[in-house]
Amino acid sequence: MAAKLYATCTALLLLILAMLGFGGGGGFGAGRNRADFAYVNQSGINTLDPAAMTWMQDFRVALNIWEGLTQYDPKVGEAVPAAATMPEASSDGLVYTFTIREDARWSNGDPVLAGDFVRGWRRAIEPGTAGDYAFLLTEHIEGASAYFEWRLSAVEAELADHAQAMDARFAKVGIRAVDDRRLELRLTAPCSYLADLLALPVFLPIHESIERLRVSCSDADRSGKIMLTEQGLVAYDPQWTKPDYREKGYQGLVTNGAYRIEDWQFKRRLRMVVNPYHRDVGRIECDTVDMVVYRNLNAAIMAYEAGDLDFLPDTAVSYTHELVRLGRVGERTDFVNPPVFGTYYYIFNCSAATYNDRVNPFTDARVRKAFALAIDRKLLVEQVLGRGDPPTHCLIPKGSIPGYTSPEGLNYAPDEARRLLADAGYPGGVGLPVIDLLYNTGFDHGKVCDVLGNMWARELGVVVSLRGKEVKTFAEDRKNGNFMIARAGWYGDYADPTTFLDVFAGDSGNNGGGYTSDAYDALLGRARVTADVRARFRILAEAEAMLVREDLPLIPLHQYTQLLAISPRVRGIVANDRLRFSFSQVHRPSASKDSQ
Amino acid sequence: MIERVLRRAGWGVATLAGVYVVTFVMVIVVPGNPFASGDRTMPPEVVRAMEARYHMDNTWLYFWEYLGGAVRLDFGPSFQYRDWTCTQIIGEALPVSVALGLLAILIAVMVGVPIGVLSAVRRNSWFDGATLAMVLLGISLPTFVTGSFLLILFALSLQILPIGGWGSLSHLPLPAITLSLPFMAYIVRLTRVSMLDALGGDFVRTALAKGLPRRRVVWDHALRVAFLPVLSYIGPAAAQAMTGSFVVEKVFNVPGLGQHFVDSALNLDRGLILGTVLIYAAILIVFNLLVDVVYVLADPRSRSVAL
Repeated sequence: MAAKLYATCTALLLLILAMLGFGGGGGFGAGRNRADFAYVNQSGINTLDPAAMTWMQDFRVALNIWEGLTQYDPKVGEAVPAAATMPEASSDGLVYTFTIREDARWSNGDPVLAGDFVRGWRRAIEPGTAGDYAFLLTEHIEGASAYFEWRLSAVEAELADHAQAMDARFAKVGIRAVDDRRLELRLTAPCSYLADLLALPVFLPIHESIERLRVSCSDADRSGKIMLTEQGLVAYDPQWTKPDYREKGYQGLVTNGAYRIEDWQFKRRLRMVVNPYHRDVGRIECDTVDMVVYRNLNAAIMAYEAGDLDFLPDTAVSYTHELVRLGRVGERTDFVNPPVFGTYYYIFNCSAATYNDRVNPFTDARVRKAFALAIDRKLLVEQVLGRGDPPTHCLIPKGSIPGYTSPEGLNYAPDEARRLLADAGYPGGVGLPVIDLLYNTGFDHGKVCDVLGNMWARELGVVVSLRGKEVKTFAEDRKNGNFMIARAGWYGDYADPTTFLDVFAGDSGNNGGGYTSDAYDALLGRARVTADVRARFRILAEAEAMLVREDLPLIPLHQYTQLLAISPRVRGIVANDRLRFSFSQVHRPSASKDSQ
Repeated sequence: MIERVLRRAGWGVATLAGVYVVTFVMVIVVPGNPFASGDRTMPPEVVRAMEARYHMDNTWLYFWEYLGGAVRLDFGPSFQYRDWTCTQIIGEALPVSVALGLLAILIAVMVGVPIGVLSAVRRNSWFDGATLAMVLLGISLPTFVTGSFLLILFALSLQILPIGGWGSLSHLPLPAITLSLPFMAYIVRLTRVSMLDALGGDFVRTALAKGLPRRRVVWDHALRVAFLPVLSYIGPAAAQAMTGSFVVEKVFNVPGLGQHFVDSALNLDRGLILGTVLIYAAILIVFNLLVDVVYVLADPRSRSVAL
């Protein structure tokens, strides 16, 4: 009996191992060789479609496998010309003509054409392929907004006319390939930060082979012209981002950056190899780059310590503050904690007259101001968080935009806070309803909420009830104004104050607190038509002062920092506030392949 | 026999259908919008169009469409990971979880059964006491503790096995052993108890009286009977090891199905939630069915009893 049992078990064991060995186990046996450079990513890639992507980890891969007209250079700290030479603007600052570099190549050897950029940008404003960043095009490029609106109506209405008129309508958008190498761009207003803007993924070119994977409704196949789905969307087979996808003659993803994707295993590993046709190929030291997914950052840190990983772009663990300390005292110089281009803040529900059948006190700016004045940020940042996040009283991270100076915000002033609260009709907090504080669970958000609640209870005598929710329902609640005070945060996208200030514009979809101010919107409008950069920055500083000194739709708390671990074995990963990293700049002084 | 198996299989299909309906209802009523991503908001027209494309505006249509697809193992697009279909995601992860779970159960049986037999034979000896203590530890220590301990010992201190990941044979031992420990502990206990029972049986006395060597009586005659409860435990245990390895997968960075089971719920990724739940349910049902069949083959007594 025992012998039989063992024979059966051993046979099964061998069977499993054999299955794994012969590739039955989902890529078992592949990827044993370590890449020249390996970095970690906690949650996997959400999408590699540049038009749709929102997440930093997706940006990071996209900006290494594609190349825009410009590209953010971490070493220089700003955007530099990439696939095109930097153009001169027309005298009114509205028209730019870019010339694509003659040696710009796709990873299959095709030359990069002006039309590839038009294709990429058009996808970015097509409902169906457009994503969260479409607003960058609709806001800045002439006619893009009109086209987008017109196309949105297609989603709801008659499709036949639409399909016929699409190209004609698109011709009115200020993006045009003059010829194969020249790309003309017409703006809605002068834009001093254009180079920085164009370095974002939404402005990347797309290779023409994607057109093979266009999805259309059955009518389209007959006429050959209509390109819409039944819902009026322009859509592509979502598999187009795969390097090994071969349908309808598609040859896999073609990109024009320093790298191309060789292999992509879902939430496991993404391997990039150098693009042999890229003009810098001779200077690139890391021929292979692995993005390895570790859901558990503790395991990632162990793998980093063991030399399996060279770079951790995000090290948010429960003992981050301890790692920060080790980095600060010089015990572990490989841990660096740069402040980044983002601010952590709380927003008030400024619009709802009532909340839970009680009067919402936060429609009154004096109450908001009182709550803001009662916060001791130094205590919060140093005693509670301890990660070295710089406390802030304004929305835009200080010194992050060259030439722009943020106004002084409101400091901790509990006496002034109590006086304002009394002025508003709530002396000592009497008469205020229970304050509903909404946050998303995870990280240190609950801790921060606890501390803020205590500060308000102590200084203002109010009763605070904390409501922690899982992130999706939190987002839904915040969007629907189902809160009194809610956690929020914002990362800027390009080097201009509007990347933060636009959030609080009356027509902004991201303005969760429902703050509206004609005066504020007027300032933003004035800035939009002001060509002189310094005058424009003065107007924008005035707008920011309105937010953080007078109206207080938000309480800025601290600037974000991000702990990076950069192995001493590699050079060329430069900590920067945008968290953009060019793997083509990495070099390994010791070419030996480590302990592997 | 065949008729019984078919009847059980029919019940399995009915159970699966029930699981589908319940999960579907829960997925629909749960609050939150699956298309909400990050801090920014999409134009409402596009949200409506996306809902139309995924048939989210018509719950009945979605119900039948998804069911029709699921029967053909096509679980539709993932709402969260637009570049992938749920079938691709599950297809990459399922073999990993199945292999890991089966390995763990095999280890648990191959180690647990002999230990259980020995501790029954040497009842109340130091060996029995030590075994009972270990079993208690094995059952009560969560796998993230034992896993981390093994990781620190073998990967960080001794550096003889990799930290984690999946892709070569050296990645297998630590997660498989960690996952096997609670099952092993249970099997030891189960074997010990039923072995004690069997050793007191008349047939054992008879065999010994007839002069058979004690070794043969224990390992052949007694174990044949004593193994039956273990056998009926193996089915659900194997299913549980394959489907419940989430924590072990996380500790050892194993790209199994467990992470998608949890993440899809957090992401409100409807297609993936339904897909993983259906696959898990199917595994449970199939393994229970398998054990029933094997049980009948192994134990002649049960052949006369209706399944």
